Amino acid sequence: MPISGIFLFLNFCPKDGASVRSRDLARILRTFVALSLVLPVYAASTFPDYPVGQANEYAVSAQTAGLTIGVEAIEDLNEQKNYFHTELAPKGFVPVFVVIQNGSTEDSFLFDKTKVASGPADASVSTPKEGSKAGESLAVAAIPFVGLFFALKLVSNASEVQQNFLMKEMQSTTLSPGASAHGFLYVPIPKNAPRQKIHLRFPITRAGAGEPFVLDLVF
Amino acid sequence: MTARAQTTSPSNTKLALRAALVITPEFCATRITKGSWATIKETFEVGKIACAELAPTLERLFFSVTPVTAVTLSGDAQVVLIPRFVDVAANTTMGAFSDREMDVFLEWTVKDPSGKTVWIETVQGSSKHHMGNLFTHGKNLKLIVKDSVQDAAEQSASKMASSTELRKLTQ
Repeated sequence: MPISGIFLFLNFCPKDGASVRSRDLARILRTFVALSLVLPVYAASTFPDYPVGQANEYAVSAQTAGLTIGVEAIEDLNEQKNYFHTELAPKGFVPVFVVIQNGSTEDSFLFDKTKVASGPADASVSTPKEGSKAGESLAVAAIPFVGLFFALKLVSNASEVQQNFLMKEMQSTTLSPGASAHGFLYVPIPKNAPRQKIHLRFPITRAGAGEPFVLDLVF
Repeated sequence: MTARAQTTSPSNTKLALRAALVITPEFCATRITKGSWATIKETFEVGKIACAELAPTLERLFFSVTPVTAVTLSGDAQVVLIPRFVDVAANTTMGAFSDREMDVFLEWTVKDPSGKTVWIETVQGSSKHHMGNLFTHGKNLKLIVKDSVQDAAEQSASKMASSTELRKLTQ
């Protein structure tokens, strides 16, 4: 029945003397029409921010040339539910909170999120030679962008949950002298097995320089 | 109803640099789809808006901005500006006339004439519009995409204007 027909029926349905069944039907139809004009929605959710500390205060940290990176893996499922409204470990990921601080007074550093790599801690790594491309010898994979999780249907379709993941994700940035940045990386882990040690490699470049240097963290 | 984040106007903080803005056909065709059959499946055509908005916005900041379709076509530009969409996120709300918020994440890589990266930054653009009902949702979707991408353009100019790394290049 076209919507216009429904509206005509509702407006011209006789009230006085109409049977109870007709009145009930009219109410049901009005409710149906009203609901059909409203798109599916979800209740608004709130997501707390993860507390930020100094990079060198984290249990796992590394420092080079005045730049310090600290990381903390959020492995407790209750904490994951608190900050993300999702348990990530059963889906094969662990959220890792990253804080990067530039303690240099002169140099700016470039953090390109697409260059961060992760892998098993026992992956053979040779010390990068001067002038060589850092990161070539590490048999790891780049950290996937959180958008990949949604495409693979690994995270709830609830738009607020997805939005929170994106808002909390660590993004590429330039760290001027004295500046800091923080956010999450979503690192793949085995789903139904104990987590092995993870090796995170952060290639960092001085602004305007050629080759990056690396900071390695194992946890 | 449109809500935009307040930004510092770059008009008083021009950068005396000739810039090449790399907007490839692939970038202009960027469309990001979210949702599923169980909720609302929406396609955000962000590339088309960005390709119309980025150059005019950045022209207010740089000495000159020349759009090019590839990095190799940047000519004698002093800086090469390379944008890339990271992702978008938009919530859904209670009721057709409640406001929803959309966030666009745009990553910028700025290179010097020798190809070295001098600056990299991810910019967030946001806007709010009504969710809309079955009849108005499509129009509201276009509005929220347009405004959030425009905000991302404004935020990009603002961040570039306040970048010490880019200002060093003018010295």
